[in-house]
Amino acid sequence: MAAPTIFTEAEQAFLRELRLRRVEFMIVGLAAAALQGTPAVTQDIDLWFKDLGDRRIHEALARVGGIYVPPTATTPPMFAGKNVALFDIVLTMHGLRDFGRELRNTRVVRIGRTTVRVLSLERIIVSKKAANREKDRLILPVLEDALATLKTTRRK
Amino acid sequence: MRLSPDCIKRLCARRGVSLQAFLESAGVSRTAYYSLIRKNSILPRSVQAMAGMLGVAPSSILYEEPPVAGRAQAQIQEAAGVLALNPRATFENVWHTLVLLDEPPIERLRRSLLRGRTHHLH
Repeated sequence: MAAPTIFTEAEQAFLRELRLRRVEFMIVGLAAAALQGTPAVTQDIDLWFKDLGDRRIHEALARVGGIYVPPTATTPPMFAGKNVALFDIVLTMHGLRDFGRELRNTRVVRIGRTTVRVLSLERIIVSKKAANREKDRLILPVLEDALATLKTTRRK
Repeated sequence: MRLSPDCIKRLCARRGVSLQAFLESAGVSRTAYYSLIRKNSILPRSVQAMAGMLGVAPSSILYEEPPVAGRAQAQIQEAAGVLALNPRATFENVWHTLVLLDEPPIERLRRSLLRGRTHHLH
């Protein structure tokens, strides 16, 4: 099998380092939906952290050659570095409760050599409905059909 | 499980090829062939051991991957079942979801990112 050209071992390493340090986070948004089988396209992997000030995030970043770029008046907080360029930081999830409560609405999914918590498709739909941007309204039928497929077939 | 020389000879005859021609085209030497048909079992010892521990025949723990066409047919039927219970769903979304569910999560994500990034470039 040809080596993957995207989300390579080097990019997965950041997730592994976060898990090794027991950082509390979950994958949300369309990357989370895709992991659960939704035929959606996305450019980034959105990560929602319980505490963005957690020093262990910086340690994990350092291990994979990434850095944390604090927010400015015009830019959100970001990760920079080749191996973390795919990851985006999510600060708020529209229509959802706080991180601790939403943690109950996650599934553990294996990604390569690690496992991560992924927001359930049901809650992704709730957040997309609440955000209600044009791009959210466009993807909602796909998310709802994927959820119907998962529930009907009882597959994961 | 043993290799059946009778079965092989019969299939060769049906295809109109000699055993020698068949072995050559399959890339199997005569020595290897005759060694195989003499073996009491052509299965790895580990498979036989697992079956033995479970008290079943080795064939009980083996399965054959369904051919692609068969899998596609099964997915079409599965999609039809989903649509029957969810009439507002579209076949395309259900079908693509079923196809992705056959892949491990990491491959689903890779496909999503690859298409997202390709789309972004154009």
